[in-house]
Amino acid sequence: MNEKKLGLGSVIATGVGLVVASSCLLSIGIGTSAIGVTFVITMVIACIVNILTLLSIAELNALMPDLTGGLAQYSLACVGPFITIICMSGGYVLCNTMAGSVECAMFANTVSGLFPQLGLPPWVFCTLLVIFLMITNLNGVDMFVKVQDFVAYALIASLAIMGIMGALGLGTGEIVEQPAVLASDFSNVTGLCGLAFFLFVGGEYVVPLTKEVKNAKRNIPLGMVLSMLIILAMQIFLTFGFKNYTRWGELGESATPHILYGEMLLGPIGKYWMVIVSLLATVSSVNTIMSSLSYILMGMSKIELLPEFFRKTNKKGAPYVGILLEEGIYIIINVSGLSTTDAISFLISVLAILWMISYIISNINVILLRRRLPNAPRTFKLPFGPLIPLLGIVGTAYMIYNIDPDWAVKLELYKICAIMIAVLTVYSFLWVKFKVKRPMFKPYPVKEVMAMENELYAKHHRK
Amino acid sequence: MKVSIEELSRVEIITKEAKIDSLVKEFGKFGISGMTIYDAKGCGVQLGTQEYENEDEATGQPTLLHKQVVMVVLPTSEVDKFLDFVEKELYTGHIGDGKIFVSPITNAIRVRTGEEGKEALKAGILD
Repeated sequence: MNEKKLGLGSVIATGVGLVVASSCLLSIGIGTSAIGVTFVITMVIACIVNILTLLSIAELNALMPDLTGGLAQYSLACVGPFITIICMSGGYVLCNTMAGSVECAMFANTVSGLFPQLGLPPWVFCTLLVIFLMITNLNGVDMFVKVQDFVAYALIASLAIMGIMGALGLGTGEIVEQPAVLASDFSNVTGLCGLAFFLFVGGEYVVPLTKEVKNAKRNIPLGMVLSMLIILAMQIFLTFGFKNYTRWGELGESATPHILYGEMLLGPIGKYWMVIVSLLATVSSVNTIMSSLSYILMGMSKIELLPEFFRKTNKKGAPYVGILLEEGIYIIINVSGLSTTDAISFLISVLAILWMISYIISNINVILLRRRLPNAPRTFKLPFGPLIPLLGIVGTAYMIYNIDPDWAVKLELYKICAIMIAVLTVYSFLWVKFKVKRPMFKPYPVKEVMAMENELYAKHHRK
Repeated sequence: MKVSIEELSRVEIITKEAKIDSLVKEFGKFGISGMTIYDAKGCGVQLGTQEYENEDEATGQPTLLHKQVVMVVLPTSEVDKFLDFVEKELYTGHIGDGKIFVSPITNAIRVRTGEEGKEALKAGILD
């Protein structure tokens, strides 16, 4: 674990990896078919808000570098264990475990549809994918990176080529004559910000790999921002491609708008190419979640917010307990058929609100640590005082407000989110009270959080 | 004793040996043409206890840790930039990153040529 293995290219591959899931390709279709190419403005707003938060996380990472997982430790040092457990468990652990399961289901359904003659149920393909990624991830970060670099760059190249071809009208299909803009008023454009937010969420998943990154001071912030900009560029090209080759009505009605676009752009070749793209997107997302989440779990264990066994690593340095647990959950959810239910998709939207709340807390953390340690050297520090974190807070709160354009759905999401927070509150209260045995809301000293990274800390501080 | 009116400062950096190579590599950017590095043993306010150790276990007896001291003399006008670089280079966020001491120098003399002040720190022009 001492030798740094990841360069800027791998950081970008990881940053793009989680964000561009096959569900994102679906979301671009939904957003574009609703308001036309003005959805680009919505995406730019969402991208900027996400970049603001990623920059805040980069500053936290500069102040508290080389921590396993990273994200939980920053909150522990700023808002104490109680809130940290709620946000990390809901926003990261549960949300991404569910999202990973759904992505696996999408992979399984797509492959099953490609090979109906085999007569195998979709969960078989899901299980094969999960086992493959489990084996690569158990072989340490080297193997994770090899898979991720290949998958992410194949994905980026494919989407860029298909997007540019569509935007420039270079496809073999017929160019559709239709209005580029369906709605351009403020409420319509910003009303879809919540949807667009999901097209960029997750860039911070490079942080758990900081310990493995060469020149992390430069590569982590740069990699996160470049990931977002690359994703934005690809999605803008796709949006204009959709406008040129797919009728808005058909795009909105399609369950797989990206595959429809591929077919309209290049015929059957385009269709199969887009199928491969969506498979790559799924593999990329599940691979990133499996790797980074296992490090987040390990990090939370080191700061005593999860049981000790999550700290265990195999000979390759991989946190195998987290990897095996995730693998088990993905398979159970898929074999049981839960992954394709509407309930789980709704639950992911609910947990995403907690993820957004975690973003707000990350921005608050920057402001708090600026006050507590104003002169500590930061290899990356945001300019303009607290302005950027404050904009990040306001922007993310606005995204939560616009989580869904339909008020009835929005209120339902808020209601279930409140229930979820109540459940996590009870769990967090019990864990802090009986396991951590520290004040609920008292931030830990930064030096103590840093010390907890050492494997010997637990030995010297057994309660 | 010869006293120069030129402003020079001495910066002494106490840190871990592992950090020395990456640290001194960039010194040239700050007009530093020479340096002195020596082994040292010592402790700070934690009396040499490791950061992961429980404070309740502390005996109160200092444990002397192996460190290295880097001593450089440079123009006072360069000190702020230099310190900013050193702090960022040494920073890990952990106890034991190091200490930096800055003190004024009244003069520097190259014995062989008799050059003084900043001239004594540059490549000799009298040769």
